[in-house]
Amino acid sequence: MAYLKAANISKSFGGVHAVQNVSIEVPENSIFALIGPNGAGKSTLLNLLSGIYQPDAGQLVFQEQNLIGLPAYRRARLGLARTFQKIRLFRQLTLLENVRAGFHIHQSEPFWKHLALGSVGRFDAEARELLDFVGLGSRANERAGALPYGKQRLLEIARALATRPRLFMLDEPAAGLNASEVDFLLDRLTEIGRRGITVVVVEHNMDLVMNVAHRVFVMDHGEALFEGTPREVQDNPRVIEAYLGGEFAA
Amino acid sequence: MSARTVGFVIAVLVVGALPWLLQAPYWRGILVLCAMNVLLAISLNLVLGYTGQLNLGQSAFFAIGAYVSTILVKTYAWNFWAASLAAVAAAGLLGLALAAFAVRLRGHYLAIASLGFAVITYQVLVNWEKVTEGVRGIYGVLPPVGSMVGLFYLVAGIALAVYVLIDNLVRSPVGDTLRAIREDEVSAASLGINGALWKAFAFGLGAAIAGLAGCFYPGFVGTLVPDAFNIIESFTMMAMVIVGGMGTMIGPVIGAIVLTFLPELLRDFGEFRLMVYGLALTLVVLFMPGGIVQAWRTLAGRQWHT
Repeated sequence: MAYLKAANISKSFGGVHAVQNVSIEVPENSIFALIGPNGAGKSTLLNLLSGIYQPDAGQLVFQEQNLIGLPAYRRARLGLARTFQKIRLFRQLTLLENVRAGFHIHQSEPFWKHLALGSVGRFDAEARELLDFVGLGSRANERAGALPYGKQRLLEIARALATRPRLFMLDEPAAGLNASEVDFLLDRLTEIGRRGITVVVVEHNMDLVMNVAHRVFVMDHGEALFEGTPREVQDNPRVIEAYLGGEFAA
Repeated sequence: MSARTVGFVIAVLVVGALPWLLQAPYWRGILVLCAMNVLLAISLNLVLGYTGQLNLGQSAFFAIGAYVSTILVKTYAWNFWAASLAAVAAAGLLGLALAAFAVRLRGHYLAIASLGFAVITYQVLVNWEKVTEGVRGIYGVLPPVGSMVGLFYLVAGIALAVYVLIDNLVRSPVGDTLRAIREDEVSAASLGINGALWKAFAFGLGAAIAGLAGCFYPGFVGTLVPDAFNIIESFTMMAMVIVGGMGTMIGPVIGAIVLTFLPELLRDFGEFRLMVYGLALTLVVLFMPGGIVQAWRTLAGRQWHT
């Protein structure tokens, strides 16, 4: 039984068919990679799954719950979290405040306590743990916008994890990272998967995809091209032709 | 004692001493005005500074507080405090109603919608003569306490209490949520934050506080005319917030104090004193966008903190 299921979903912008009739089934506790050339529709698909866009047609189901029509914030409450291809941090806030904001849906203190007491129920300790998890614990009071690019991507991951997701979508988390940062990211993604969070990752970095993904879904021109294990994807002639070129042909 | 407690004690002492340092009736009046402006600046800062909504219509809620409380007292013989409670509720609910329509709007569009609301409110005050007396005004409005010193202590005490409550709120998880919306509404939504709901909350709470300030204005002046709630008032509030330093708690308070007293010190220059607002706003936006608070922090070499 698929954990997250999209059936025949389509999305057009003006005359451009960004996603056309795509169906995916993400199994629970897997790391699921979406790959494809630029403009293949991967990010659009992620935006459809997370609720930034609503599809023109098709079905979306997460844990037997229909997602169509639900805005992004409602989907986050069902356990869907995400990061963004173009980093969207709360730039003027500190690292700690960024992650703390991620605990919003777990707040249970009554409103009068916030007015009367201020800092109750702020999840400071949990937020620091998540900063430690991505290696940013020592910089908790720095401003997010002042972080180097690679660290900003890690902070977005910590912030999204604060929602305690069941399914975590990452849009090109390795973009702009250097080799050692990619290694660290790979390690963290594996650890996130090990903690029972299902991961959907859009990625161009083939090392990362081949190393962490259980299933790989290939898109081209807004349509599904192929789906299989990393090995099957590497060996598939259509994928090699459309995307990988000669790099993996040998 | 924490730094907050020390600050609170100092504020109480300063408020207590001020009427005795400035004994001339004229200056005691300015003190009351200043306390009202502090309340207004706090109310607008919650919306503009913490939630990032460009609200140009705050003068409307100030007006609603003033008119609803005064009409209930003068026409329906309500007790001042009951009338004030109703006035605050009316301002807050109208703020929520406007926000319900406006939360989908951002930036320029919200600014235009809120400005439009202030224009409409002003026109209602001028033209709905049966209730508001129009431009003739309502005369002989009494303050809730007899002496100017008493009125100052009352309004300043309320301003101090509101400051403490809102300071608590912005330190709480609610504050994190509002700032998150200000910084990036799309990623706030990805964390499960209902942006429309929280923006309406901030807008409504800000409107209620502006309405609370409005309850004390007519008794202070003695008369109530629509011109006191001209659109210009919205801009003076904005100038206080921005000059002081929006998105900080103390900044708008400093802005309100500076922009209440500075024009008074320049009274000899006649109407030109109003230019102080425009000049202060222009200089701050050009040379220190974070306002007085940021300039001070830069000088003191302190680390950035919101």
